[in-house]
Amino acid sequence: MKRASFRSASVIVAAAMVAGAIITGLLPGYWTYLATSVLISAVALQSIGLVAGRTGMIALCQMSFAGVGAWTVGYLNVGGAPGNLPVWIFIGGLAAVPFGVAIGLPALRLRGINLAIVTLGFATAFDAILASITFPGQTKFIAVPRPEIFDSDGGYFIFVLIFYVFLAVGLEFLIRTRLGAIWLAVRHSERAAAAHGISIPGAKLSAFAISAFIAGISGGLLAGYLGTLVADNFNMMQSLALFAVSTMTGAQFAEGALIGGILAVAFPEILRRLNLGQDIGNVLFAIGATQALSAGESMSETLRRKVRGWRKAAPAPLDAGARIAPPAAVPLRHGTALSTRGLTVRYGAVVALNHVDLAVPEGAVSGLIGPNGAGKSTLIDAVAGFLHSYSGSVELAGDAVDDQPAHVRARNGIRRTWQTTRIAPELTVGAYVRLAGGEMSDAEVQAILNWIECPHPDTLVASVDAGTRRLLDVAGVVAARPKVVLLDEPAAGQSYEETIKLGRHIAEIPKLFGCAVLLVEHDMDLVRAACSEITVLDFGRVIAAGAPAVVLEDPRVRKAYLGIEEGNAAA
Amino acid sequence: MNGLLTSAVAGLTAGGAYGLLGVCAVFTYRLVAVVNFTSAAIGTAGTFVLVVLNEAGIPLFPAVLCGLVAGVIAGVAIGLVMTKWFAESNASTKAAVTVALLVGIVAIGLRLTGGQHPHHFPDLFSGSAMRLAGVELTISSLLTIGLGVAFTILADVLLSRTRMGLHLRALSERPMAAELIGVPVQFLSILVWGITGAVTAFSLMIIAPQRSPDFMSLSLLVVPALAAALIGLFRSFWMTLIGGILIGVVEGMTSVIGGLNQYRGAVPFLIILAVMLWLQRGARWDEAR
Repeated sequence: MKRASFRSASVIVAAAMVAGAIITGLLPGYWTYLATSVLISAVALQSIGLVAGRTGMIALCQMSFAGVGAWTVGYLNVGGAPGNLPVWIFIGGLAAVPFGVAIGLPALRLRGINLAIVTLGFATAFDAILASITFPGQTKFIAVPRPEIFDSDGGYFIFVLIFYVFLAVGLEFLIRTRLGAIWLAVRHSERAAAAHGISIPGAKLSAFAISAFIAGISGGLLAGYLGTLVADNFNMMQSLALFAVSTMTGAQFAEGALIGGILAVAFPEILRRLNLGQDIGNVLFAIGATQALSAGESMSETLRRKVRGWRKAAPAPLDAGARIAPPAAVPLRHGTALSTRGLTVRYGAVVALNHVDLAVPEGAVSGLIGPNGAGKSTLIDAVAGFLHSYSGSVELAGDAVDDQPAHVRARNGIRRTWQTTRIAPELTVGAYVRLAGGEMSDAEVQAILNWIECPHPDTLVASVDAGTRRLLDVAGVVAARPKVVLLDEPAAGQSYEETIKLGRHIAEIPKLFGCAVLLVEHDMDLVRAACSEITVLDFGRVIAAGAPAVVLEDPRVRKAYLGIEEGNAAA
Repeated sequence: MNGLLTSAVAGLTAGGAYGLLGVCAVFTYRLVAVVNFTSAAIGTAGTFVLVVLNEAGIPLFPAVLCGLVAGVIAGVAIGLVMTKWFAESNASTKAAVTVALLVGIVAIGLRLTGGQHPHHFPDLFSGSAMRLAGVELTISSLLTIGLGVAFTILADVLLSRTRMGLHLRALSERPMAAELIGVPVQFLSILVWGITGAVTAFSLMIIAPQRSPDFMSLSLLVVPALAAALIGLFRSFWMTLIGGILIGVVEGMTSVIGGLNQYRGAVPFLIILAVMLWLQRGARWDEAR
């Protein structure tokens, strides 16, 4: 994990040093001037890459945040504030953060599209306000001075390059932390993220605030670059174009932001030299972004996929950690881990669950079976907090959790998996286990993965087959060592041998991780192998409960599954 | 006080146009499940066809007709992109696509219309309709609001009372499933895009003479339109219409309060913020993905 961050960071620093030497040493002054512009655009693109590409939100006011940063720098300059440009730029970045938070807070708890509307609204409002208050120093032509040693075009290029490298390296480290994994998880599936105990508004707000900071920095850099600014530099069309470019190139990656910066500067420059309108560049960005959205893949993602294909990185050998012992056994608890009382769920006129009383004992695996539509998944949704309303109550170790939202229930010890796996494919296997289970040592991660026979922690989830991802789902929930684990058809899509093996692993969960397990499954071999007791649901009611051998022979259960009385079937 | 009332009434034309645009946005969202950021740009394209033809000496009425047709064509063109490549995408991706398309349309529009080059926007319906309590009500304000009400009633009836409305609702929920049971998905979606193209073009024609008449500014009228749609929660046509009128009226009132006029552009944002805060009462899950 750390090693990967250091590796990317050193690649960035080395590339920057080479590029810096070439551009300032060999290229004519005008090219250096353009290259500075590329870097400033790349910083702005990184800011939108963080919210749009990485966290999956549509943010349409990044240039307004940049405008806040630039305005602050101008204000500090005109006001004769202490310090110099680098300090002011940093303050400008910080000044953009409260704006980001103030806009983000009301929108982030709601559906994603609202953020697009509110940010576009802010961009219009900011345009109107900026046009009337103007930039500090704009009317008196007071330029923002550059630091003395960075005053030349080449010097300012180096100045901007240093900022770019700092931000790019910082982001490389940030995206490999748990917070980085959280952003990807939120983008991929908000529900799945909440099921890991992640507060969705918190995750989005952190991304939005950091992004506003970076955008503010880009504005400050632009202030030093141009000296004097006009409102048009931060016009909302610029924000929209920035969104299109970032979508097209994948600005959440360092190379995507740089490619985007190059395109954003090169297109208008080429068009200008050809005596064509510079705005035609935006048409190309629009087409590029539409293409990327329809392919579901930005330029950098395509690039990364190709590079991975060339390298054919041999999946790290499993035996590397084969000697690592499985997780140590924990003392078993006694009592009832989870219970529902009179749990009732209605969808309109349909009663999906009808006064269900269910108890999941500590230290054991309980099964929940029933024909399709019996209400099994609805029960998991209700218990884990994913339904808007239900009546009755859910108790975790005797405490009612009914007023807790999903992520709080997850933190307090109710973890679930999904019928279809919802792991963000951009994560590594190890990062996913940490995302689900919280911070833990490399040895712990390795031990859990070895126990359930998942690949090496550095393997990318995208390169793992669907069956193994189901196992990874299970590894994730048990890694958190919650009080209760709800497994929703973990064997769906697995082969017979895999299912038998999975059954063995599930049976070990209470002993190794101290969790009670509620297993929802159709595969009776798995249920028999893993469960010490079974509850049967049919049409939202409990029709039988008890030891597997008894329950599975119950004629009512057989009828629910086969749809006929056994005697009639013979006749 | 009378000044405030006069200016509030002066905002009615814009308000009616916002309401109409907002109702179109809700119509598009409920029927083809797209939050369309290009709607005002589509209307702007139609409006500029009118302007250019009119400047070339073609009488107003046929020019308006051609403008409406251009609106339909532009709407259908966007609709084809959305139905061909993004029919099964989630709402967020579709919205992102329309944002990207907006960037392209504005660039093309600015190029074709000569950027800030001034154009003459004919006032389609000038003059006063009546005086009410000493305040002029213009024809265009009555017309936009009347049209808004008519379109709202029509949309409501179509959606909740007719078989076609049922088909359209099925289409927006599950396009694939709707197609499988024999709903002419492609045809209906394109129809929706065409209708909203014509209606937005007409609203833009009415409001354009009051605005800075360049392609970009007019295309960005999508902001008050979406703000209005948000007031209607992207569901209720009536609330959207009322919300649009409200935004126009508040904007109008800023013109009399000293020094506030130049901040008129911030009004939709403040209203959006207020609505968002009001909606904060419960977390909503993004659609299951």
